[in-house]
Amino acid sequence: MRSHNRRFASFTAVLAVGALALAGCAKGGGGGAPQGETATSQKPVDNKAVSAITVGTAQDSTGPAPEVPGAKPGGTVNMIDRDDFSHLDPGRVYLNYNASVSALFTRQLTNYKKDDSGIKLVGDLATDTGSTTDGGKTWKFTLKDGLKWQDGAPITAADVKYSFERLYADFITEGPTYAQAWLVPDAAKPYRDQYKGPYDGKELDTIETPDDKTVIFHLNAAHPDFNFTVAMTGYGAVPKAHDTKQKYDKQPFSSGPYQIVSHVTDKSLDLERNPNWDKATDPIRHAYPDKFHMEFGLQSQQTTERFLADAGGDKQAFTFHNPVAPERIQEVLNNPEAMKRSLQGLTPFTTFYNINTKRVTDVNVRKAISTAWPSQQVQQLQGGELGAGKIATTVMSPTVLGYEAFDLYGKLKTPQGDPEAAKALLAKSGTPNPTVVYAYNQTPVQEKVTIAIKEALTKAGFKVVAKPLNPTTFYDAIGQVDNKYDIYWGGWAADWPTGSTAIQPQFDGRQIADGAANYSHLNVPEINDAIDKANTITDAAEAGKAWAAIDRQIMDQAAIVPEHYQTYFGLYGSGLGGVKFDPIQGEQSALDIWVK
Amino acid sequence: MTSFLLRRVLGALVILLIISAVTFYLFYAVPRDPARAFCGKICRPETLALIRHNLGMDEPLFVQYWHWLAGIFTGREFVQFGECPAPCLGYSFATQEPVFGAIVDRFPVTLSLTIGASVVILSFGILTGMLAAWKAGRPIDKIASSSSVIGASLQIYFVGPLLAFYLVDTLGLIPRPSYVPFTEEPLSWFTHLLLPWVVLSIIFTANYTRMTRSQMVEQLAEDYVRTARAKGMSGRSVFFRFAWRGAMIPILTIFGVDLATLLGGAIITEQTFSLHGIGELAVRAVQNTDLPMLLGVTIVGAAAIVLLNIFVDVLYAFIDPRVRLG
Repeated sequence: MRSHNRRFASFTAVLAVGALALAGCAKGGGGGAPQGETATSQKPVDNKAVSAITVGTAQDSTGPAPEVPGAKPGGTVNMIDRDDFSHLDPGRVYLNYNASVSALFTRQLTNYKKDDSGIKLVGDLATDTGSTTDGGKTWKFTLKDGLKWQDGAPITAADVKYSFERLYADFITEGPTYAQAWLVPDAAKPYRDQYKGPYDGKELDTIETPDDKTVIFHLNAAHPDFNFTVAMTGYGAVPKAHDTKQKYDKQPFSSGPYQIVSHVTDKSLDLERNPNWDKATDPIRHAYPDKFHMEFGLQSQQTTERFLADAGGDKQAFTFHNPVAPERIQEVLNNPEAMKRSLQGLTPFTTFYNINTKRVTDVNVRKAISTAWPSQQVQQLQGGELGAGKIATTVMSPTVLGYEAFDLYGKLKTPQGDPEAAKALLAKSGTPNPTVVYAYNQTPVQEKVTIAIKEALTKAGFKVVAKPLNPTTFYDAIGQVDNKYDIYWGGWAADWPTGSTAIQPQFDGRQIADGAANYSHLNVPEINDAIDKANTITDAAEAGKAWAAIDRQIMDQAAIVPEHYQTYFGLYGSGLGGVKFDPIQGEQSALDIWVK
Repeated sequence: MTSFLLRRVLGALVILLIISAVTFYLFYAVPRDPARAFCGKICRPETLALIRHNLGMDEPLFVQYWHWLAGIFTGREFVQFGECPAPCLGYSFATQEPVFGAIVDRFPVTLSLTIGASVVILSFGILTGMLAAWKAGRPIDKIASSSSVIGASLQIYFVGPLLAFYLVDTLGLIPRPSYVPFTEEPLSWFTHLLLPWVVLSIIFTANYTRMTRSQMVEQLAEDYVRTARAKGMSGRSVFFRFAWRGAMIPILTIFGVDLATLLGGAIITEQTFSLHGIGELAVRAVQNTDLPMLLGVTIVGAAAIVLLNIFVDVLYAFIDPRVRLG
């Protein structure tokens, strides 16, 4: 998924255009943290419940969702945030912020149930998480009884099939493309050349609907975690009878507990109950409030101020995305009343510094860079643990199934960097004073970070050439396979919490291309093979172990210097209960909220 | 008169055409690919090509410009966004709403700000200027002249919050600035915009005071004034019936130029008072590299300035009969 966070989101193509806030992630480019942050005194982030990601059973998939203790129905919940939702047509939703609101009116075949035991993949429209008998090439889902659209018409297998078919239409370009590429005969060729969508009357014959309740997907290769893929909002249901094509993006038709009453671009979105949603079919949504009123245009400074004041309608307000303004983190931490209304957690987003393995070919030089890296200073300059994230030591984040903690370069023990150990590694490489070109986003914060990096590497014997890049074209510059830089920042989030999206796009050597996600240009045959193998393991837990092993292989190659597992720290009003942090989207969740 | 107007309007259209062509070229020639923003996280080259096609950006720049121009009169159909009815200035890349609609939505705010401020500035500036000229050399002239220098050296973002603090927060004399549509509640429209008007006029009035004063003093030394006085006309009559007309022409000319400054300055005024007008739209468009919105705001702003200047030209005729429009 794509991050809405201004510092992070930048990774994606959207931010490749820099400040183009199209997907709602304005102020692009790395490093938007405040200046003069007092990071050292922050309390550590509580990151429990990130470990257990499991695949649930049919029993887990039945509704209604277990009651939230003390919760009662009724009332209006307010949501205040910076940006309007850039897309609401499920096919065009990638951004986590859009996905968070879509959960109130869009349902997918599968979804995530979050409780104290962790995160469980469960059936949402489907009775369970789907079944496959051939290792993940053919997937069968059965729809629940009693599923209805907002007009009372039943949600059928044909609707689900149609929802996938329309993703091939020429105007749906912003969403995920996994299923589209897997449902045509040849995954290697552009999928639109093989099917053009349903609007000219043609169907996609790789999706079978033997009856009203059964959908069978015939993929062109085995994808054992396809049931995670279809949990993405991008694969949400859209009814043929109400598909308004481009206009659907502003006014989608509801399959969930709420429907859109009005949507004024950049100003507000109002939701009211969908009378045809039946909670007996839904294992994850409670729909306690009668209405949601959402307002946009508020910076995090303003929302922090309003949450702290906790007056009037703001008592019943939450925010999907806006974090505590970095300059007020300390104030909030020292305010016990506000802390009771705060949420912390790890988001699925990780940041790191790519080492261009095409230019820095000696693995010992790369290891020396990692060893000398001033992780602690870099973290503090960008807002500390709550403003930026926890110091990372792996490719996969703790939010990914199978994550194993390890620290090959002593970043937790000597977070300030170890120049002596780095010198030893450089001596082994035979180039005690290599020159490295560090390319960075020219922003005030990144200027400071660059100085810290330069100092630390210089101490270890490197000669550092710092090369400032224009934040708006940063990704275009580093995206070139033959770029002239050795180290550059980047970020990534898994589209679903397994290694296949956390690792493969970034480190599969066969996917190196201009603008592709493999920014470190790592191409190691053993890693490529291991990726292929991990992709065929049907048991989720076993696959997780395989991906963790690949993580270790990549870190052993020192292809990246991990920077942060991104954290979220936000507030909400005192008049709300059930406001929870959603580790899948990395922001606040609306699904359990109730008005006190 | 009609032929004068016709010529001016035609001239204005040519100017707008040139402005639009130059702006279009400048904006769309930037080394940036807006298509990237419509492409999913793992952006395939073929998807990128499709989006460029959907946005009409795969064609030569002059063809794109022609489509843009034609769209204003005939409307357009975008694969990416759907239909864009005439007058179509394209779709905003950032909010995916028609640019024209967004501007129409916000234009009343900026227009109210500009016109209201103009009225205050002109009436106040000319009045104090004339007063200073009438009493040239006396204390009242000194006060008017020197206070105008102080006003001219102040900035919106300084005076604005300061006055807001005293007049709105402390004394509660006027409401916090916001926009209430004139058509709904004219009185609220007036009171809610009073503060921005006053602030703008504090800064701009100074020029008009000084100019009016010097123009009046100059006019009073003209032959026709002496002639009128010689024929026995009272000083007051000469001053208020004849001399001021001559003084107004250069003032109106300057005002025509200042209108552009006022419209352009709306960016700062709107930010200072959190008003959601064209200025705010322009700032966001720049931040987002929202090319269609930038172009739309530029063109509509230019059109407004050109039109208001034609209006100023027409005013000449009414004030000074010597100006022939034939």
